[in-house]
Amino acid sequence: MTSAIALRQITKRFIDHRPPALSGVNLDVLPGTCTALLGPSGSGKSTILRIIAGLEDPSGGRILLGGRDITDVLPEKRNVGLVFQRPLLFPHLSVIDNVAFADRAAGQTRRQARDRARPYLDMVQLGDLGDRGVGSLSGGQEQRVAIARALAAQPTILLLDEPFSALDATLRHEMHELLLRIRRELSPTILMVTHDRDEATVVADRIAVLENGQLLQHDTVDRVYHRPASLDVARLMGGENVVSGVVRGGVHHSGLGAVPVDESAEEGPGALVFRHESAGLIPGHASPAPAGALHATVVAVIRSGLRQRATVRVGTELLQVEVPGTMTVTAGDAVTIILPEQILWVVAT
Amino acid sequence: MLAVLLIVWFALPLVPLALWAFADRWSFPSAIPTVWGVDGLDAAIAAGGPAASGRSFLLGLTVALIATPIGALAARGLVAGWAPLPKILPVLLFAPVAIPPFAAVLGTNVLLLRAHVPPMLGLVVVLVAAAVPYTTFMLRTAYAAHDVGFEEEARTLGASAGQVLWRVHLPLMAPALARAAFLAFLVGWSDYLVTLIVGGGQFVTLPMITASLAAGIGNDSVVAVLSLTAVLPPLILLVLLARTGSHRRP
Repeated sequence: MTSAIALRQITKRFIDHRPPALSGVNLDVLPGTCTALLGPSGSGKSTILRIIAGLEDPSGGRILLGGRDITDVLPEKRNVGLVFQRPLLFPHLSVIDNVAFADRAAGQTRRQARDRARPYLDMVQLGDLGDRGVGSLSGGQEQRVAIARALAAQPTILLLDEPFSALDATLRHEMHELLLRIRRELSPTILMVTHDRDEATVVADRIAVLENGQLLQHDTVDRVYHRPASLDVARLMGGENVVSGVVRGGVHHSGLGAVPVDESAEEGPGALVFRHESAGLIPGHASPAPAGALHATVVAVIRSGLRQRATVRVGTELLQVEVPGTMTVTAGDAVTIILPEQILWVVAT
Repeated sequence: MLAVLLIVWFALPLVPLALWAFADRWSFPSAIPTVWGVDGLDAAIAAGGPAASGRSFLLGLTVALIATPIGALAARGLVAGWAPLPKILPVLLFAPVAIPPFAAVLGTNVLLLRAHVPPMLGLVVVLVAAAVPYTTFMLRTAYAAHDVGFEEEARTLGASAGQVLWRVHLPLMAPALARAAFLAFLVGWSDYLVTLIVGGGQFVTLPMITASLAAGIGNDSVVAVLSLTAVLPPLILLVLLARTGSHRRP
């Protein structure tokens, strides 16, 4: 299948900026999917979107949309929708005229453009606010209008640059539901920049992890979380359990002892990683220990909302495990930590 | 309360003018004109007031139409950082305001005469040079606060560079452009020195006939009528500006 977006060796150097903002980024986004570009500030996420939209020229590399090379095409000819963190609604136009902007620019009459804009305003559930000035809208409403305006241009791909990061948690949740509905109804190809891992998990099928202008991994949400390509990806995805050791004959040897791992794990030095959310914890030292179980001692417990995070010692290693808030664990308790083989992953070091 | 005081402060000097304009005779020590009438108005029309006002208006308009886009380009260049010599350019732009006008105009006039520049063209060039500092500095503040994101968003929505200018940039910048144009208009509308010297006396504007009549004796009412004529158009423009600034379209 032809990629909706294909980046080939995209490099971007800004004057007085070293190292390059992007170096040799290759990325393929399939039609109808939603990919989250995840990374810390300054990792080059927004620069990728601006290059795809044509608002920045790459210093090197090519951009293909639907197989067509658009590297040298003007932004207005690319048919790429872009929603920024700031809604950027035109203050001199009413809500409906903002949504109708693309059709007006395409030469339609005001009436035609407004008629075509209305379904998009309905889609973001603001059908009755069309005649309002944009100054009277709340932050969440403004961002809805911005999304409707981008969709009304019927772009082949939709780029979202941290569109919900300025909204509070409740509004953000509503916007995630709106985005999921838009995905169901219109199936647009979406590339969304975010620094929020949870947001990426909720709205995206795939995650592309960026750091220092380099694409570290692009894979399904599950694999990026559980099968990080490197320790940098594990760290950026919030992975807290990294145990150095050596793989010999499908077994990882470390301070934890001998732990069987997936047979695809490379022989030699490797770090065992697993998600603190995926590991299990049961009170007491289970005897006999079930498969993948290790005896541990609780070192500390921190409560966070309805969950709690336990730091446990196994052998010479300290591990993090998330446990339900209803479970009673205190420092000094003897516990058994359950690490099923399918949650373990070895990153060659 | 402060607004009322301000209005009184600005309106007070106009009261004697308004009274003189309709005074056929005003003998000392009477507090108000002793004989009311429109002799001043008749004399102003006979002295070529309407035509001179028209020329002043045309001059102001021409200066505004040229100095505003130049100021906008300079301001945008300075704000965006693509203007050459970013440290020296503001000083150069401000030079026409900083140098005493008489010295600058006399010097410039010699240069223009030697270069065989037609007086009318020279007049416009010099007045535009005098107006550009005002438009540039007025618009520099506006462009510093202007978010280019609006224009980028418009481009991604399919608007060409021309459409972005027409549908987004100009409407967003309109209040600031109007204020800058107003200042530039005033430079042309109220100029006396440059019109007299560089214009070579060929182009008789409102300030010129007002000044020549004011130099005479017994012309108080006609001078008052002409002065009021000079005050009113900028005042009307100012009110219009204030209204468009506060009543933006939804």
